[in-house]
Amino acid sequence: MRITTTRFGRIDVEASDLIRFPSGLPGLEDCREWALLADASNDALGWLQSTTRADVALAVVSPRRFVPEYQVRIPRSELTPLAVDDMRQAQVVVVVGQNGTGLTLNLKAPIVINLEARTGRQVVASGDLPLQYELSLARPPLKKSA
Amino acid sequence: MLVLSRQRDESIMIGDNIVVTIVDIRGDKVRLGINAPSEIPVHRQEVYEAIQRENLRASQLEPGDTQEIGKFANRGPARPGGDKPR
Repeated sequence: MRITTTRFGRIDVEASDLIRFPSGLPGLEDCREWALLADASNDALGWLQSTTRADVALAVVSPRRFVPEYQVRIPRSELTPLAVDDMRQAQVVVVVGQNGTGLTLNLKAPIVINLEARTGRQVVASGDLPLQYELSLARPPLKKSA
Repeated sequence: MLVLSRQRDESIMIGDNIVVTIVDIRGDKVRLGINAPSEIPVHRQEVYEAIQRENLRASQLEPGDTQEIGKFANRGPARPGGDKPR
């Protein structure tokens, strides 16, 4: 399948790279199908590219590589639609953002992907986690959740 | 907007499978119990709206913005983008 993107040009994606988000993502509810792409220059980074909106892509990372103490607790009701019985079937990634200071990670709303079913969902994690966790070389400790 | 008066321990039904119960009322704070099918997400509105704003903002990010991210990563096995070249 060939998709058009504003960031990466026209690219061919395999069916196995496609992930369906039946509810879209908050703020991007109309984007139901995404391709998970590897970043060309950075192996810590991936891109979720909408297959229907060329200009919509989200940079994603595996949170543990950046915040080793990040322990995500997700209410069961959030996981039911994904049919993830076992979190080992699931891949958790978080969205990279940017604020005035630098790059941030959205630790409050991780994206859970059921690798077998190729379905995904952005969930709201329990506890007091930041929507904009600032990446810095002197890593600020993650506040213990309330 | 439909406005209904309810007392503690009374409920309203939305459709035939969502029940919202007034669990407790204290001062200006109301505690609600929500019984809904597991496929219906329930969110605090301000949290959901904050996530919407954050996603829209994050979707503006360009590959050039993320060049530095590698220096914040620990050495580790997982590679979120998988192994497929794009």
